[in-house]
Amino acid sequence: MSDYGNRALAGVAAFGGIALVLAQDAVPTWAGFHTWQYAATVALAIVTVAAYALSARRGADGPLGIRLGIAAAGAIVTMSAGIASGLLGPDTETVTRAPGTVAPLPDVGAAGFFPAADAAAIARGDAAIVIRRRDGSAVEVGPGTRRFFGTVALETAPQPAAYVEARDPRGDRVTITQPTGVAFLSPVLLFAERVTIAGHALPSDTFATPALHRQIKAFYFSKESATVAQSHGLGGREAVLFAVDDDAGRLQPGGIGFVPSGGEATIGGVRFRVSVGTYPALVISAVPDPLALLVGGVLLAGGLAFAFRRRSPQANKRAADRASPELT
Amino acid sequence: MRPIGAGGSGNVCELKRSMPRQIGLLAALLAVVAIAYTFKGYFGAGGPAASRLGGGGPAILAGAPAQSYPVKSLDGATDALDRYRGHVVFVNLWATWCAPCRSETPDLERLYTAERSKGLVVLGIDQGESPGAARDFAREMHLDYPILLDEAQQYGRAYAAVGLPTSLVVDPSGHIVRGIDGQLTLAEMHDAVDSVLQSARTVR
Repeated sequence: MSDYGNRALAGVAAFGGIALVLAQDAVPTWAGFHTWQYAATVALAIVTVAAYALSARRGADGPLGIRLGIAAAGAIVTMSAGIASGLLGPDTETVTRAPGTVAPLPDVGAAGFFPAADAAAIARGDAAIVIRRRDGSAVEVGPGTRRFFGTVALETAPQPAAYVEARDPRGDRVTITQPTGVAFLSPVLLFAERVTIAGHALPSDTFATPALHRQIKAFYFSKESATVAQSHGLGGREAVLFAVDDDAGRLQPGGIGFVPSGGEATIGGVRFRVSVGTYPALVISAVPDPLALLVGGVLLAGGLAFAFRRRSPQANKRAADRASPELT
Repeated sequence: MRPIGAGGSGNVCELKRSMPRQIGLLAALLAVVAIAYTFKGYFGAGGPAASRLGGGGPAILAGAPAQSYPVKSLDGATDALDRYRGHVVFVNLWATWCAPCRSETPDLERLYTAERSKGLVVLGIDQGESPGAARDFAREMHLDYPILLDEAQQYGRAYAAVGLPTSLVVDPSGHIVRGIDGQLTLAEMHDAVDSVLQSARTVR
């Protein structure tokens, strides 16, 4: 291949590899960044650029090739940051916690404070998670925002949620417990499981009312899936389907029924009031080290500027004269 | 005459002379350091396989500030944990349906009676029940220590309860000293609060 062809190939490899690396900042949750195929592609780009830089350093691509060495170093640094993040950074993880609880986040060097949420907050679905670092600084990660913390990106993902109140037949409120949920003492269901009913994959959860000796399964019906249950008078509203068992797992008489969001109903001897909406989960994704990207970017931009800088005609002539004295 | 940049060994030699050697060395060194720094970062705190989520239970809360939420007390007034700042507080999360909570209650009353003169407050926080049930229970058990009604179960969530009863010892500055899951004997309650009461007295 000609010198020009090698240079063009190295350029394509460098900018293609850098684009792949920068894509990690643009769509950090994509699982493909943590595959061997991604690492191999970027590694191939690094090898191509490095091979060109070494041959150019020996003079194979003339003076321009030598000057491009600095830019090549910048491209290699940038692409190395991408490989490190993809191979060694944590896979994208979704942290689900109950309202009012704290999750330690060792990869971030911080703790995530999941805000308390009452029925109205669940219905609004606008809760923001506060990330508090060891040095006391804090930032909020709200709906639709993305925050970068060193080598991780943080964003929220709204999860279906329901705030449930349960009352006994006299109308007295009873304790809700979630022995298998994200928090034992929480009236907020986060529907971490999926169950297929009549061809629909429905988010589901379980909880108990120990005072009434009832075990309850709850299935989340979004506005879309609620339309399939029109006959239950939901009118396209979000709803929760409850199935009420006793402690021995026996379904109670009248123990299956819908409660639409904002509504109340007695099912299996328990009076339920439900507010349906969303509550955020924290999504943690690896991104390339920003300092490495900065160093790589400075070297790349500086190297390109140095290689293609416009020289004065006098300087060009002086250089040419010194390089080819026999022609002057 | 050939323009510079068009190739040729003469031009290369010239460029090698004109581009200070230090610039190339510096760029290469910077690149190596940046790459080493990038990879080292992933092997700092336990590496990529480091655990991301801590364990559960109230024990992990030791040293953390105690969260406080305004709730109703048995007499209908608004009350909260932070109102007892300056005291050693033995917080007990409970409910009337919880059998271990019921059997623990007489010992909580004994602890309160024995240590209140030393500045101890026992604070029972009922989880998720209507006032009537808690009031009946307090009357039946002749409880003198303050009872709060946490209908929304906020304290239970914030204190990482994995069951009932759950107890916490909070120091006068409002920090959690210990979080304990399950029923305690009177001796265990004294063990939990004695050293905190001792240090609180020393500070005063």
